[in-house]
Amino acid sequence: MTPESLHRSSAPAPGRRVPKALAWLAGAALLVGGVALLSSRGGDGASSDAEAGGTAAASREAASGGRDHGGRAGAGGTHDEEPPPPRFDDAVCWRELERFDAAVTLENFRAWAAPLLASGDSLVADYLAGRLTELIGQDPGRASEVLSWARTAGPDEFDVLLTALRGSEAVHHAQVATQLLAQGMDATLDGGRRAGLLSALDTQKRFEPAALDTLTSFAKDPVSGEAGWAATRTIARVMKRDFEAKGNAAPYMDALLTIGTESPDEQIRYLALSTPMHATPVLDERTRAQYAKVLTQEGSPDGREAAAHNLSISGDNQQVLELFAQAFAREKETCVRWALFRFAARASGREALPVMANMAMADPRFQPIYQIFEQLYASGLHDFVRLWNSLPDQDPFGCLVGHD
Amino acid sequence: MKRLCLLLTLPLFPLLSTNAHAASADARPALRASTCSVRGLMDDIRRGLGSGSPSYQRYLRTLLREAAVTLPDAELRDAFARETEPVMAEHLAAALVARAEREADTQSMDVVAQRALHDADPAVRAATLRAMRRTGALERTGDLYERMVRDESPQVRQEAATNLIEDNAHVYAGQYGPAADTAVTAAVASTDPAVTARILDNLSTEKISAESADRITSLLRSDDASVRKAAVNALGGVPAEQMQGARESLLAMYREETDDGVRKALLQSVAQLGFEGAIPDLQRLRAMDPRLAQEADAWIQVLGMGLQEWSLLLREKQRLQQAP
Repeated sequence: MTPESLHRSSAPAPGRRVPKALAWLAGAALLVGGVALLSSRGGDGASSDAEAGGTAAASREAASGGRDHGGRAGAGGTHDEEPPPPRFDDAVCWRELERFDAAVTLENFRAWAAPLLASGDSLVADYLAGRLTELIGQDPGRASEVLSWARTAGPDEFDVLLTALRGSEAVHHAQVATQLLAQGMDATLDGGRRAGLLSALDTQKRFEPAALDTLTSFAKDPVSGEAGWAATRTIARVMKRDFEAKGNAAPYMDALLTIGTESPDEQIRYLALSTPMHATPVLDERTRAQYAKVLTQEGSPDGREAAAHNLSISGDNQQVLELFAQAFAREKETCVRWALFRFAARASGREALPVMANMAMADPRFQPIYQIFEQLYASGLHDFVRLWNSLPDQDPFGCLVGHD
Repeated sequence: MKRLCLLLTLPLFPLLSTNAHAASADARPALRASTCSVRGLMDDIRRGLGSGSPSYQRYLRTLLREAAVTLPDAELRDAFARETEPVMAEHLAAALVARAEREADTQSMDVVAQRALHDADPAVRAATLRAMRRTGALERTGDLYERMVRDESPQVRQEAATNLIEDNAHVYAGQYGPAADTAVTAAVASTDPAVTARILDNLSTEKISAESADRITSLLRSDDASVRKAAVNALGGVPAEQMQGARESLLAMYREETDDGVRKALLQSVAQLGFEGAIPDLQRLRAMDPRLAQEADAWIQVLGMGLQEWSLLLREKQRLQQAP
């Protein structure tokens, strides 16, 4: 996984005509340099496709390889051939679903929903999750009951139960959040189930210190695996929400830096290091120092790129420029060098030009790019977004998409 | 006595009947997968409007759109043509738009657009427009929006504005110039100041053309302060090539502008166009109008932080002003 890899649910489904829209979304992702908050390491039972900006249907189709099978010439087709007309699978209409909807209760939900779940119809599964959310409402007792079902539910039902819980009002009740966390920590459950439970906490408005500590300790544990990855993503998502609502990022940043430097799992470390870029807090001195260490000590190039990205929004531009200059000289990876180069501009604007000139002297591949930056700043540009939009090639080294 | 017995037993019938109904409602529904039809789906949706479950209503809406590609085209179009109830027309229009989006039917978008333009009922025109929201309709409907923002109904005009705003923001993420240009053209074509101002106040102009920038600039002379203010806001975000012209227009406007709200917007857009390079301009504008000195100072302070992205500067200014 890379900072710039695209979430699979963002990929257009075959035969569906939305390429321009998604292409622009992808472009926006390139600028920030990452979509890790939207990414998934494995099935976690409580995904947030809605956050990915696509429709639930588009996500389902992409994940399943597409409901429709035509629309584009496939492998072996030639450019001269007329593409075959698109073919689509029939949707399923359910007899008596109206009566189900009117009479379903929390008590009969599992029994009544079973045949619908068994059908594999993803539209009706989405409906079931939504209907169960309505049945749970604000009642923590009902939420606890649904949570108790999750321990033994099969995979499809588990997804519905956790999606319903995650979207309910009751999940914000302290008792429910505590139970979810406790079950997520239960080592007798399999990793996928624990990941789903911990992901269902990602709609919380904030985490108290104790919950944050628990999640952090777990995520950096060498055996946390898929569930540790989910715990890290949950911390990042709650941080974004809390930061946007209350400006509170510091405890989450500490947690993510702890995971990002102490987890032995490279994917978890990378997720922890890259996700703060979505909240974009201005780094304080202590956090800056910690990311500076990552820039020099992290073994994964993706992690070093993420550190450069975060450091580019900093309270001390001069210090960051010096740091980038030193790191560039030591750095062997082209993509990390390109990150240091462009994020120097993001950190200090035109004041970064002397440092960027030195980088280009040290690595002549950056000479033509440096000249473009110099010309753009000379034309009166100041802000990084306009500058980025004006670059003739935003990815001169093939780093931004799919460089695993 | 017979009559008494009858009187005593009568109330039992409704009770028995209710109990029987309750028992039937409690029985597990005989759920069966079946083939979808236009008529069946429309009946379900019509009845579903009375459901207390938003999830069920959402499901039916989605199901019709998903099923639309395999439903008989003629039947769907006939149902749409016959339907006069706005909410049902909206569902059917959304199904036809879904067919066009998935390339199942190249003509269905036109059918919807023609209804939006020509239906006699403004509520149906508005509903049909809503069906095109957050889709790629904007790219396939020519001058539809230019015409819809001049509709005689204020509701229709506002629905058109909402489509332009939401399509640009959510379908194109503000990054597709032609979509933003369509919105600018419509905003300028509208004679309803509320529509013009709303579109321009909520549009990313990051990728607009030089022609669009000129069109927005022409609105700086509007008699309506809300339109002038929205035009000023829109010019703050223009691409690099249009920055210099926009800056000059805004600085020239400041001296003559009498509305405080517009002047405040001018300070913000000058800041957005120049970043730290705008500080000397802001100092000059500050001296012209002491009433806005505090606002100008706030911008000067935030720009001095050296942040290189507008969203971050906006956020930090908000924080600064909220600080106790």
